[in-house]
Amino acid sequence: MPDAGPSTTKYRSTFRTLEREKKFRNPPKDGSTVPILNEFVTPHIESFDALFDDSGLPQGDGDGRGLLSLAVRDIGERVVFDGTGQVGTESGQSGWGNRLSFWIEQVSISKPRVPEKIKHANDIRVYPFEARERLTSYRGRMSVKICWKLDHQGEVERSVIKDCGLVPVMVRSVRCNLRGLSSADLVKKHEEPEEFGGYFIINGNERLIRYLILPRRNHVIALIRPSFVNRGPSYTPYAVQIRCVRPDQTSVTNSLHYLSNGSAMLRFSWRKQEYVIPIMLILKALVGASDKEIFEGVMMQDYENTFLTDRVELLLRSFKMYSLYTGDQCLEYLGDKFRVVLALPEDWDNLAVGAWLIQKVVLVHIQEAREKYRMLLFMLRKLYSLVSKSCSPDNPDSPQHQEVLLPGTLYGMIIKERLEEALNQVRNQIMLDVRNQEPSVDFFDARYFNKVLSKVNFDLGSKMSNFLATGNLVSPTGLDLQQASGFTIVAEKLNWMRYISHFRSIHRGAFFAELKTTAVRKLLPEAWGFLCPVHTPDGAPCGLLNHLSRTCRIITAPLRVSHLPALLVAHGMTQNFSPSIDGTKNLCVQLDGRVIGWARPQIAKQLAMNLRIWKTEGRHDVPLDLEIGYVPPSRGGQYPGLYLFSSRSRMMRPVKYLANSRNDQIGSFEQVYMDIACTPEEIERGVSTHVEHAPTNFLSILANLTPFSDFNQSPRNIYQCQMGKQTMGTPSTALQHRTDNKLYRLQTGQTPVVRPELHNTYGMDSFPNGTNAVVAVISYTGYDMEDAMILNKSAHERGFAYGTVYKSQIVDLKDAKGASRSMSAPTLHFGLGHDIRTEPGDKQHWCCKFLDLDGYPFVGTQLSPGDPIAAYIDDTTARTRFVKYKGDEVAYVDEVRILGSDAADSECQKIQVTLRITRSPVIGDKFSSRHGQKGVCSQKWPAIDMPFTESGMQPDVIINPHAFPSRMTIGMLVESMAGKAGAMHGLAQDATPFKFSEKDTAIDYFGEQLLAAGYNYYGNEPMYSGITGQEFAADIYIGVVYYQRLRHMVLDKFQVRTTGPVDPVTRQPVKGRKRAGGIRFGEMERDALIAHGTSFLLQDRLMNCSDYSTAWVCRTCGSLISLGYDDIRLGEVVIGPSGIPKPTGPNGEYCRVCRAAAEQEDERQRKAMAHGNNVSNAVKTDVRVAISSVNVLGSTSKGGDLDVVAVPYVFRYLCAELAAMGIAVSLEVH
Amino acid sequence: MNQSQQPGQNANPGSAAGGGFGQPRQEMEYICADCGAKNEIKSREPIRCRECGHRIMYKKRTKRMVQFEAR
Repeated sequence: MPDAGPSTTKYRSTFRTLEREKKFRNPPKDGSTVPILNEFVTPHIESFDALFDDSGLPQGDGDGRGLLSLAVRDIGERVVFDGTGQVGTESGQSGWGNRLSFWIEQVSISKPRVPEKIKHANDIRVYPFEARERLTSYRGRMSVKICWKLDHQGEVERSVIKDCGLVPVMVRSVRCNLRGLSSADLVKKHEEPEEFGGYFIINGNERLIRYLILPRRNHVIALIRPSFVNRGPSYTPYAVQIRCVRPDQTSVTNSLHYLSNGSAMLRFSWRKQEYVIPIMLILKALVGASDKEIFEGVMMQDYENTFLTDRVELLLRSFKMYSLYTGDQCLEYLGDKFRVVLALPEDWDNLAVGAWLIQKVVLVHIQEAREKYRMLLFMLRKLYSLVSKSCSPDNPDSPQHQEVLLPGTLYGMIIKERLEEALNQVRNQIMLDVRNQEPSVDFFDARYFNKVLSKVNFDLGSKMSNFLATGNLVSPTGLDLQQASGFTIVAEKLNWMRYISHFRSIHRGAFFAELKTTAVRKLLPEAWGFLCPVHTPDGAPCGLLNHLSRTCRIITAPLRVSHLPALLVAHGMTQNFSPSIDGTKNLCVQLDGRVIGWARPQIAKQLAMNLRIWKTEGRHDVPLDLEIGYVPPSRGGQYPGLYLFSSRSRMMRPVKYLANSRNDQIGSFEQVYMDIACTPEEIERGVSTHVEHAPTNFLSILANLTPFSDFNQSPRNIYQCQMGKQTMGTPSTALQHRTDNKLYRLQTGQTPVVRPELHNTYGMDSFPNGTNAVVAVISYTGYDMEDAMILNKSAHERGFAYGTVYKSQIVDLKDAKGASRSMSAPTLHFGLGHDIRTEPGDKQHWCCKFLDLDGYPFVGTQLSPGDPIAAYIDDTTARTRFVKYKGDEVAYVDEVRILGSDAADSECQKIQVTLRITRSPVIGDKFSSRHGQKGVCSQKWPAIDMPFTESGMQPDVIINPHAFPSRMTIGMLVESMAGKAGAMHGLAQDATPFKFSEKDTAIDYFGEQLLAAGYNYYGNEPMYSGITGQEFAADIYIGVVYYQRLRHMVLDKFQVRTTGPVDPVTRQPVKGRKRAGGIRFGEMERDALIAHGTSFLLQDRLMNCSDYSTAWVCRTCGSLISLGYDDIRLGEVVIGPSGIPKPTGPNGEYCRVCRAAAEQEDERQRKAMAHGNNVSNAVKTDVRVAISSVNVLGSTSKGGDLDVVAVPYVFRYLCAELAAMGIAVSLEVH
Repeated sequence: MNQSQQPGQNANPGSAAGGGFGQPRQEMEYICADCGAKNEIKSREPIRCRECGHRIMYKKRTKRMVQFEAR
């Protein structure tokens, strides 16, 4: 803690104001201002870099090739035949003809460049700021080298470079022009000095691919899921599963299901279709194993275990029905079944197809068949162990069995699949041409192949842009992922805290969001140090959207581990191929999902310890990022073994290894079996192996920034993490180069007096997020009840929490009405036409107040809703038209950007206007301290009426004491004290959590400081009423608290309406604030009014203020819909056929139904009179509604038989709709 | 500024029936978003900085008096 004494001789600011000022004026020329910020997006950037051969990442065991190269190699070649061969000849048994094979040799993506059309560019590189400001995407050109070869004598390999369009490139990655620039250079490129990249720019928006949690790769987990029973007859809930990852980071999940007959089925999916194969078939196909070999492989000397012997016997027996005995027979069987699905070259025999299938879908992380076989045996043993309850199921929701899907990995997977798709399309196109016997088909002619290539859509760029813009994955295979959308999010620069949180957020997967059970959302102890327990939103995504802890890293580079098996063997591990290993006494040793040997538990434990010492001390070339998961044997616990992980995408974090006091990196798998003390005091001798570097390391960056968070009730810290991200703060220091739709800015940001040490580490002072306010905790005027707060009016007038909102409006003439669709010269141009008088004077056109002669608004003009923001001339009509400012508040034009076209060769068709909206705090705006204590400003109280202390201080903010007892945010009380003392002594108070203890309390520490400054020890002071001047009976707790202004402001939310737009069908008020609609008065509100018996209010709400209408209703038939009018304007009388004047109302209204009925009756009576029989007939109705006399407005019984009644309009509509269905509604008018 | 910058704009506003032809091409000064150079660009000219070839221009702040009621 900083020394409290004001008596130090040489004063040195703990706020580091000058230091920061200097750094901001002259950013470092050889590095970045805040290096740690670059560190925490490394997984984003390095995973993207890993796509390329020149990534600069460590090579590991590989040859340093990028993921794209590996992917292209994995795609392999496609083969077509031209069908010219003779049946039975050398060229094919069924006349395949010439064999053309083609493949992708190379993929490359260039850095973003200016289009070649532009000749006179000083710098051909394109920088992100241009993409941002021009509202375009930051993309580099992608091209592939396609090779093809004809299987014919004298034919050589030929190749062509195919353009694949412009692919979005991650900012600050190896393909970005900002790579490696220092802060000073970044500022020159119109970026912030702290710019760290890690996102893509799509149409001017910054979008990033969010981390996603996936099952841990290359590790077998045991599952018990009741839903497995539904897979088919004899399926049981037991299964083991492994997610295997190829070197190019694409994955295949293999599951091994236990059947009730003792055997097991291997399940995999191919192009979203699931297949199951008996495990015996695979085991035999892999190495041609005999039944004895399989039996011994699974049993591993454990012949006493009758459970196991029974199952394995059943397993072997059940396979007899297939009558497949050798490995080749099995492969041929598989090849036969899968030939159609796989679409492999036609000249391959079943054996080759079967072998290919095994290679491509079974345990794809292992190349060698023998190793796959060993791993499958291990899976079988684990499965049987699970079934016999000698091991427990693994929890797939625990971080122990999870890893991270990295942005670059996903990007590479999509590119790979798109390339594969394109290659398949080429094959299909050629096959189609061959089948249609197109004359152009000539495999010997390069032109034909090029023609086919031009027919196939190779535009990967637009597809990748689409993926990033929407987050939707369009994929025929599904990429072994559980979701198809929601992969990308916008990195909103609402404020700095929110922005940086996006890059640390990690999602469980959209699939789990709709899950009814909440088990996946649970905070597990395994997540300690990897996922922050505090920083998760409350509400729908709670527990699914997490944030990485501060020190959590994600491994992005492969490690060098090929020498490990030999090293372990040298230290006591039994090798794989030893014939008689006792499975009961030995533990399996695995490296990245490969069985590398066996060891007794004691030796395995020793090996694990040795490896840890070696890796921390860097001996034997054991990499530090190696994860050593030693699972000790236990009764019914996790399946034991020594599991080593060196792969990428794992979460790791630094801790101190006690044995040698070195830094150790631990993973989420091994942490479960470790004893890590949180503080050095907690170390238990003989138990603890590690100690945390800092007790706050398990918190995310945001959670770390809450001062004294250890004093608060934990939900309050969660709320603060939410509200910190909704604060009006400083979104960016390069505001003039931003084109975001909406930016919130706090004009008077300050550095907090009370802040944790990490505030400096993360350079948060460049982006202030609030204001230090003098806060009195007092119930003063009554305006501070229910979490309201009173603002000192003078503080407000001095600029307390003054904010600005920047909105952007884009005027694109391409989308305007009358724009020419063709590519020719545009017909719309910005400017004022001849029909506008621009010369000053009385006749000057009104738009000249806002618009300049070029049709753009004056920079600095005030715009009210509906004012013109731009003008353009339509060539076809020679008229000037205006684009209106669409907001509903007064705004000022802050910046007008005139955007050129891509090739810089056409006139301006698009402008972007940044509008500034002033938002001085008003009553109803939301504020909060940093302890989840939010409140709404209820009054701006005049300073003269504010209470004051003995020294004459007045609070800026008054909050109610009731805010504390139930919420228990003691941190805020401590902050208040610390802030007061810090302000008096000129100290930046360290508010790092877990610094104080029961013996050394914060109260005493800050109390002493307060005492030294001449205040009360506990921070309370006598205060006087501002109105009466009398001293309050109690001392008031007053201090300095950092207050945030939240972005929820009344001006964006208020909704009021008396009359306004109505729905055209029902004539009821529309909904929605934007449309000036009403707020729904719903069923429950109706119930309340009924319960209160306030019937007038009820009628007012539901009738008079809604769809009140009057209607004519017929007294006779009760119909609402049968109104007719006679023209009686000039005193005419309508004479019926009988010559009697028909009865009508005073305006000629009559009931058409009754008149028609009367006429009919008349007719019939006449006929009856003629024939002599009497039939009566009445109008029948289906629904009868009684209407009280209150609602009868006027009886007009003089002529017609109609009454005017007041009814809701929807009721009339209902009657009309019912009539359309043949149901008559009758109203009884009383 | 508003008075001074009217190059030939006064010519018969009533007889604008000639369509887009013979438009007075007033030059406006803009600022390049990259290098900050002043660029005079006539209407219907391509947007490109003469100095650096950049494709974004900022409009200059108006020299008219900007006055609002401050209440």
